[in-house]
Amino acid sequence: MAVASPVLTPAGLEPAFDLSAYYPALIYIGVIVGLAMAMLAATHVGYFLPFLKPQRPTKVKQMPYESGMDPIGSARMQFDIKFYLIAILFLVFDVELLFLYPWAVIAYAPGGDPHWKNIFGTIVFIEILVFLATLAIAYLYAWRKGVFQWR
Amino acid sequence: MNPLLDGTRIEALTGVFKLVVPEIALVGVACVLFVLGLFTSSRFLHTSLAVLGLAGAFAVALVAQPWETTLYDGLKANTEAYYPILPSAAATLIRYLTLAAGLVLMLLSTKEATREIAADYLACLLIAVAGTSLVARANDLVTLYLALEMISVPTYVLLYLPHRGKPGQEAAVKYFVLSILSSAVTLFGFSYLFGLTGSTNLSAINAVLTAANKEAISPLAVLAMVLVVAGLGFRITAVPFHYYAPDVYQGGPTAVVAQLSVLPKVAGFLALARLLGIVSGPLNDLPFPTSTQVPLLLWVLAAATMTLGNVMALMQDNLKRILAYSGVAHAGYMLLGLVTASAYATPTEGLLPRYVSGFDGLIFYLVGYALMTLGTFAILAYLNSADQPTESVDDLAGLHQTNPFAAAMLFVALLSLIGIPLTAGFTGKLFLFLGLYDSPTVTGMGNAYKTLTVIAAINAAIGAVYYLRLLGVIYLRSPLRPAVRHRGKGPMLAAVLCTVGTLVVGIYPSIVWDLVKKATPATAHSPALVAK
Repeated sequence: MAVASPVLTPAGLEPAFDLSAYYPALIYIGVIVGLAMAMLAATHVGYFLPFLKPQRPTKVKQMPYESGMDPIGSARMQFDIKFYLIAILFLVFDVELLFLYPWAVIAYAPGGDPHWKNIFGTIVFIEILVFLATLAIAYLYAWRKGVFQWR
Repeated sequence: MNPLLDGTRIEALTGVFKLVVPEIALVGVACVLFVLGLFTSSRFLHTSLAVLGLAGAFAVALVAQPWETTLYDGLKANTEAYYPILPSAAATLIRYLTLAAGLVLMLLSTKEATREIAADYLACLLIAVAGTSLVARANDLVTLYLALEMISVPTYVLLYLPHRGKPGQEAAVKYFVLSILSSAVTLFGFSYLFGLTGSTNLSAINAVLTAANKEAISPLAVLAMVLVVAGLGFRITAVPFHYYAPDVYQGGPTAVVAQLSVLPKVAGFLALARLLGIVSGPLNDLPFPTSTQVPLLLWVLAAATMTLGNVMALMQDNLKRILAYSGVAHAGYMLLGLVTASAYATPTEGLLPRYVSGFDGLIFYLVGYALMTLGTFAILAYLNSADQPTESVDDLAGLHQTNPFAAAMLFVALLSLIGIPLTAGFTGKLFLFLGLYDSPTVTGMGNAYKTLTVIAAINAAIGAVYYLRLLGVIYLRSPLRPAVRHRGKGPMLAAVLCTVGTLVVGIYPSIVWDLVKKATPATAHSPALVAK
């Protein structure tokens, strides 16, 4: 393979790439496949074991999704354009939170390198303010364009 | 040693914003424009603010240039890897060129960006210009991806802003979906690069892969290269990835299509050159196997791109479709620059000093291509009006009688696209073909480079057919429609600027060539390549 030695990056010394370090992903795949196989096996074996799978079908129970919409019919349904606007707005604030939580937890957490806070503390704080200002502009834009009026 | 005690490294990370002040200024002005557009629809105010933004960025770039040059020249191969943004000489040149292109595009759009959408339109344009400039100086996979998206995302908005019915919507949706697909492929390639090297810094990636490449060919590195070329091939409209271009060009607003034909292509080629390790660093050592793999891939891509582009353009009747395929063909010519650069990278004995190293020819051609393509689109935008749309070839019939001045400028632009001497298109092709023809034949590629030069020359002849057909329609046929007074000072001014530029670069190529040569030293941070 291309690299077998650690690499010096701006963030410090990166350890060499080692596939065996990714073993949790393999366990995860095993659990997923095992769960799916077990479910399939349980439903099919269940026909012969009435105590495991009693047969009392009703009309609602036999639908593909018991508590969802019936997915049979034309796939070309029309959604109201309002929902797209809501989705985009949701994205604006969702991304904000998604970014702010990890930042708030990690940035000035105790136990960090004291040099880091001296050098980057102010810059990182200003950066997050710029990020919030950008979002505020997006909010202002959406507001003035009348996105919040439910028509 | 704690990296936080290393002064050079800290300086590289904290001082990074100083290297992109013009780009930050452009995006800031764009934000102000977005907000301002909500409260006032004074077009004069919006336009002057946007022009001020561009001028300000230009002024700041001029002021920052000496400092940036000193910084870049002081860097060594290992300290380069600290910088997420690298003010290389090529990046500085591209910044000025992009700002100039931004001004031309702004002039071009004055007709289509009506009062209601002017603020949003100009803001999106400024962000795309900033993105293109940022691509040239990105030295980190994350920065590079961000810069590429800074061009794509405003383009989605721009394609949809001037409402133009079904074709416009189709163009916008098609570009949106396919652009996202190409970004995904690019990111997939990036993930391999990161996985192989453990770093997102392009200088570090290049250094590590180059060292590894000397020992053995890594299949994963080749895979990463193929994915990156495929993803960026969409932006430069290389052939298997070009299929969106004709539809999007046909449906999109002319000014936006003009932008689409220049900014993403400049960005795509620069990103490709940077990822292939051609922009900086020793040119005789590339991070990917160069005896056959890289040149062969680019060889096939270039040959297919120019041939298909030219042949398909022969069959079109819609002006913008012709220009779309013409853009595909010119992307094929520009790929020759990358082929040349990777060909010279092959470590061989007895390389002679060369005049064209490939990347310089590519940048020079990009300048010429931008001038002539923007000139053509500017004329089309100028002629196009609601009651007399200029869409098909027949709409140009007898233009020399109804509007001789516009016809003359189209004449110059088309001659340049053909590659007739005394135009920018000729000098650009000359440098590219010359560099390719001189490529070493001692490598595994053998005489393939000479064959490709011949293919390119044949293609230039095929290309002449459809450009000459347009000229025939303009000059030899009689008008089909009554002459009208065309309006649009902006597109006219843009066309004049581009025509003058095409002629100046064609007659005195040394003005631009010297700048390009200075910006692309054959070897940066390494002893001279040339042996014997």
